[in-house]
Amino acid sequence: MIEVKKVYKSFQNATVLSNIDLQIEKGSIFGLLGSNGAGKTTLLKLIAGLYKQDRGDILIDKKPVFENEDIKQRFIFLTDIPYFFPHYTIKQMANFYENIYPSFSRERFQTLQDVFDLDLKQKIYRLSKGVQRQVAFWLAFSAMPELLILDEPFDGLDPVMRKKMKNIIIQDVAAREMTVIVSSHNLQEVEDISDHIGILHKGELLIKRNLDDLKSNIHKVQIAFQGSVPSEMLQQLQIVYQEQRGSVHLFIVKGNADEFSSYIKSFKPLLFDLLPLTLEEIFIYEMGEKGYAIENILI
Amino acid sequence: MLDIDFRSRKPIYEQLVDQIKEMIVSGVLKGGEQLPSVRVLAQQLTVNPNTIQKAYRELERIGYIYSIQGKGNFVSEKIEASNQEELKMVKENLQKLAQQALFLGMQSDELLQIMEEIIKDHQGGKRDD
Repeated sequence: MIEVKKVYKSFQNATVLSNIDLQIEKGSIFGLLGSNGAGKTTLLKLIAGLYKQDRGDILIDKKPVFENEDIKQRFIFLTDIPYFFPHYTIKQMANFYENIYPSFSRERFQTLQDVFDLDLKQKIYRLSKGVQRQVAFWLAFSAMPELLILDEPFDGLDPVMRKKMKNIIIQDVAAREMTVIVSSHNLQEVEDISDHIGILHKGELLIKRNLDDLKSNIHKVQIAFQGSVPSEMLQQLQIVYQEQRGSVHLFIVKGNADEFSSYIKSFKPLLFDLLPLTLEEIFIYEMGEKGYAIENILI
Repeated sequence: MLDIDFRSRKPIYEQLVDQIKEMIVSGVLKGGEQLPSVRVLAQQLTVNPNTIQKAYRELERIGYIYSIQGKGNFVSEKIEASNQEELKMVKENLQKLAQQALFLGMQSDELLQIMEEIIKDHQGGKRDD
């Protein structure tokens, strides 16, 4: 289990992360979302023990991560720009990984060759960006880590490869309870595979929840009434956003859907539709509440 | 078999619950039949194993399946009608559809006839068992 307790981090005078509290259970896939510059990569680097926090604790299996070799050889951090030694071939790089990671499996490496279909004698720097990322995944999967930290992992991969990578991740989670932390701007990508989500904004963790709970707590409601919308009803509902399209009103409502829908129905609306939100919409509305609104910019 | 629409607004676990439910109701999955393990299904669908686990737990809660420790999940032989929540939802849907049918000009005897046929089929199916 990973525990982040009241963590602060600043670089020079700029505070990047403040008061981050987070727990990630073993065998869970945690999706880390956030606006640009929110501090996602910094948080990942702290969890990976590459940076040292100014205050607070970061524990993996109850032990501090920073400078802890024993823990570090049990996880892999796949950075947003994969790093390889200059002029190394895939084979040489695999040998290096085998030396560093006790859990590295030759067998797995060879099995995965069918997936990646690359020549082991190729120099990595000659490969394209997307293929280099594939190599990084190949090495990471072969090292059989207990924890896999992925920073924008699917950038540069084609749709077929994305699907394959996700599938292998899921197999490892199902088979050996690997824990995964994945950061991305691509909400759809995170939504597909995560069970828990954290939204980071300006160095603060706005939301950390089970994805299904998050989705069942906010809904899009379309209502039409004969005449105007009863103002009494509006006061009772926790409305985050509203819009009117002709006679149809669109509301984004927080709360338990069963409760508020029977409440709305008691006002006998002509039309009543309830839709769950996509993660993208949740992200936009949650951020909007914190003043990070989408505005149509006219130039 | 199961088909998850990742573009859908509906949470993945709800899609799983609904689809498995439908397969049980329509008889594609028979009483006592074993459901695929969480691991196998996760791999086949590329869906988070925790999500599949959650869907199985929900199906168990509403009585469609039961689990045996260490063996897996199985389709219930007889689905308990005691689940009022579930029944209420079906009733609401039925009402909505019937209203729609009448609005579109379906005659009331035609509607009744359809209902009767469904009831007859259901009872007939039972006698065959």
